[in-house]
Amino acid sequence: MRIDRRWRRGWPWAGLVLFLLVPLVQPEGFYLDLLMFTFMYAAMSVGWDIMGGYAGYVSLGHVGFFGLGSYAAALLLVHLGLPVFLTAPLVGVMASILGAGLGFISLRTRGPAFVIVTLTFTYVAQLLMLDLKSVTGGSKGLFLPLLDLPANLVIVPFYYAMLALLVIAVLVSVAIRRSKFGLGLIAIREDEGKAEASGVNTSLYKILAFAISVWFAGTAGALHAQYLNYVDPDLAFELIITLNLIIMSLFGSRGIVWGPVLGAFIIYPLSAYLIFLLPSRLAGQVHLVALGIVLVLVVMFLPDGLIRSYQAWRRKGPIDHRPVEARASIVEAAG
Amino acid sequence: MSPGLLAQSLVLGILTGGMYALMAAGLTLIFGVMKVINVAHAAIIVMGAYLSLTLFRHLGIDPLLSVLLLIPVFLALGALIQWSVVNRLAERDITLTVLMTFGFAIILEGLQGAIWTSSYQGIKTGYSLESFQLFTLYIPVVRLISAGISLLLLAGLYALLTFTKLGRAIRATIQNRTAAQLVGVDVRLVTTVSFAIGIAIAGAAGPLLGMLFTFYPATHWLWIGKLLAIVVLGGLGSLRGAFVAAMLLGIAEQVTSVTLALDWAPMIFYVFLFGVLVVRPQGLFGAVERQSL
Repeated sequence: MRIDRRWRRGWPWAGLVLFLLVPLVQPEGFYLDLLMFTFMYAAMSVGWDIMGGYAGYVSLGHVGFFGLGSYAAALLLVHLGLPVFLTAPLVGVMASILGAGLGFISLRTRGPAFVIVTLTFTYVAQLLMLDLKSVTGGSKGLFLPLLDLPANLVIVPFYYAMLALLVIAVLVSVAIRRSKFGLGLIAIREDEGKAEASGVNTSLYKILAFAISVWFAGTAGALHAQYLNYVDPDLAFELIITLNLIIMSLFGSRGIVWGPVLGAFIIYPLSAYLIFLLPSRLAGQVHLVALGIVLVLVVMFLPDGLIRSYQAWRRKGPIDHRPVEARASIVEAAG
Repeated sequence: MSPGLLAQSLVLGILTGGMYALMAAGLTLIFGVMKVINVAHAAIIVMGAYLSLTLFRHLGIDPLLSVLLLIPVFLALGALIQWSVVNRLAERDITLTVLMTFGFAIILEGLQGAIWTSSYQGIKTGYSLESFQLFTLYIPVVRLISAGISLLLLAGLYALLTFTKLGRAIRATIQNRTAAQLVGVDVRLVTTVSFAIGIAIAGAAGPLLGMLFTFYPATHWLWIGKLLAIVVLGGLGSLRGAFVAAMLLGIAEQVTSVTLALDWAPMIFYVFLFGVLVVRPQGLFGAVERQSL
């Protein structure tokens, strides 16, 4: 029992040490790239889950912040010469401020406004980058100066940056989960009316949670732009990124710190393998269909995610994790 | 802006708005009965456009005829999907249901790309480029026809909702699901039927979209944005609101593309969408959302 608990506390640190050592053993190539993108998706999923899991408001627009982050970092580099590794966290803060603005529009009330705003926001952002040709280069995109590193080592700083982003994401998520703020968010998820009645400033909590949530997307977008050395409206706003974050969080378990991490570490390598297997003519389309089917299946058959389902299975009994109003609607339907 | 140009924009805006109203009607109907935003709505419309394109190219079936053919097909598909998967989930969790429709949208987009490739398409018939002159106004035939068909279908929907027992049950369910159930409405059946009608209208709008606009698999993201702007401005769940908002935004889009620039015309939808959410979240005709029953 004691060993079990010590192991539980220790395994994230053991994993971290292992991942820190990987580039020393294998400083280039396929696996480093795979791990780097897994970290990036895991970090963004943990961020997504702060809003989608804790507060129960699913965002369909995280890629909008990712894309704007890419553009912001690219513009800061091209016009002001500021290196992306310095500006990335600040670009994240810009994304957070924007997120707070969108939250102000859509989170003051309950209901579908948040879904609508986040869904359309991606397209607004993309349209802006496309139409503001004089600044962003329009559909031609922007080229970023290359990093001054040997070609085979260029991935290493990105690897560590994305790993750092993931560590920050997990630490922030743990801190929120243990705080009064986190309790408030979970109360909002379970019953927003009662949360408000018991003194939670629900609007403020939701807006704050969304601002924190999109910081990771903005920062990751900034780093990603420098990794590709290029941004254009199609690459920066690929909807598949939002889709991935949602699937990863749901599959691992929403509202649990390690849920999205587990989801990312399973889904991303499988996706990469699928794309590798398929003929390039069809890869994109089949990948899209496959992810869509996975989302529908997870929503239907594994809505609690792997971790929660495993916990419930170990306790030998299904637990009702649905929000209170969902349980009430069953009663309504039956009565 | 000269009066002539303004009149021209008004006419084109109203004709296009008629089709927008048809596309938005299903979305707002489905939201009304289920409280679910059907994210896949525009992807279903685009699917209708692709099917009509294939029927036209390979069998020579006119897109206007395929409107009639697609309605029963999409009605059946909508009923089947709603009854088999959507309803079960929607009774448990609205949020997950929205995510499910998001998944549907993605699947449709991928399938369209795999079957018809991702290049731009358009349905070009013999009368596609014809137009006539009415006083000083220039009126494209296709836009007039599509507006006419849209209005016919909307009138049919209006008659169904107003004069039939089913229509009354649908309206009752939209107003208050629990109360409707208490007075003996089979809300589950009503929900399935309404969803199917919404999907059928979307399918019918497909050929019209295909005749008026070019489309490709990812275009549905552009359209779902426009449609959401319409239903939010009209008030979610309000058919009358969606109709008025579709006309308003159709005109606003035309005026913007003439006065500002073609590139910026889509932006007008989002300006309205975000503006309405800030100033009047319930839209023009929507009810203020109540905290509890």
